[in-house]
Amino acid sequence: MTDLNDILGAELEPSERERLEHVHTLLVQAGPPPELPPALEHAPAPPAARVVPFPRRYRFTALAAAAVAACALFGIGYLVGGAGGRTEPVRTVAMSGASQATAQLDLFEVDAAGNWPMELRVAGLPAGRYELWLTRDGKLAETCGVFAVADGETTVPLNAPYSLKSFDGWVVVPSGDTTPVLTT
Amino acid sequence: MAPDSRTDVELLRLIAEGDRPAFEELYRRYARSVLGMALRRIGDRGRAEDAAQDTFASVWRSASRYDPSRGRPASWLYAVARNAIVDGLRRRPDPTVADPPDIATGDPGPADAAETDWVSWRVHRALETLPGNERSLVELAYWSGMSQSEIAEYLGLPLGTVKTRTRAALGRLANELEGELG
Repeated sequence: MTDLNDILGAELEPSERERLEHVHTLLVQAGPPPELPPALEHAPAPPAARVVPFPRRYRFTALAAAAVAACALFGIGYLVGGAGGRTEPVRTVAMSGASQATAQLDLFEVDAAGNWPMELRVAGLPAGRYELWLTRDGKLAETCGVFAVADGETTVPLNAPYSLKSFDGWVVVPSGDTTPVLTT
Repeated sequence: MAPDSRTDVELLRLIAEGDRPAFEELYRRYARSVLGMALRRIGDRGRAEDAAQDTFASVWRSASRYDPSRGRPASWLYAVARNAIVDGLRRRPDPTVADPPDIATGDPGPADAAETDWVSWRVHRALETLPGNERSLVELAYWSGMSQSEIAEYLGLPLGTVKTRTRAALGRLANELEGELG
């Protein structure tokens, strides 16, 4: 480990030296902070409001009103946004690489079977075929699919059928290669 | 990107009103502190990550209950995290661990563990206030096992620059720890 005297030198005011020595002691005591895994890179989605049941006599009225409201909102949403919309992502992972290549990976709510639907937006990569991989200890661990990139920006749906907690990053590699061109 | 100059108090006030970007910023500042505490208390990485998520869900729900006149945000968040972690342990006990044996161990007692938790919490939170290059220097200096000369060589920086920046970072940490986080 670095020697504190090596950092502070000999010309420091005693009061400042004492202050920095105190910080040094705290840093040693605290130990290193953990690295955040990809699953914790962003704040979790705010939890849904707690459900408060209606009194029994209002339950049917409330359900009917909710059904009518849901139908109306769906109709409006369908007309305004079209039928192919997605919900909000629960996680967004930024990736970058050489020559200003970038990507944004949006993860949507995991389904009951453990699939994480994703949408990958890539820009700045040369046209070609690429693969998205999850990494563990800096090595390719599990593939999340192959996709093609054209010039400009490409958006592609993918899936990660894994427990993301057991991985520590994402990379994009040219198809058939193991050298990442985009990393988290 | 310019650092967010809003205080933790301001962020909590906004979170109480449902402000999602404020929640993200508070998360950025405290996520490693929370995960660090959960890892120390729980040990298992997966369950610690769940506990960290529970903590921030709790922050989102209870931000409106934070009262600045009753303490600093770091202390309040520490208490919320500690409670969420303990609640999580109760709800999801580790199925692989039997009841603890009734014998003395060399592990720190509850008071020592709490002291270590609080110090780590403050230090890790203070680290998040440093500019990225200074934070890297501190992390390399303290937890990589490298000397200042080795860090200079590793980063391709003059040795004097590494020392000056590391000293500046320690000064900033001292200010931070004596200020809002003190």
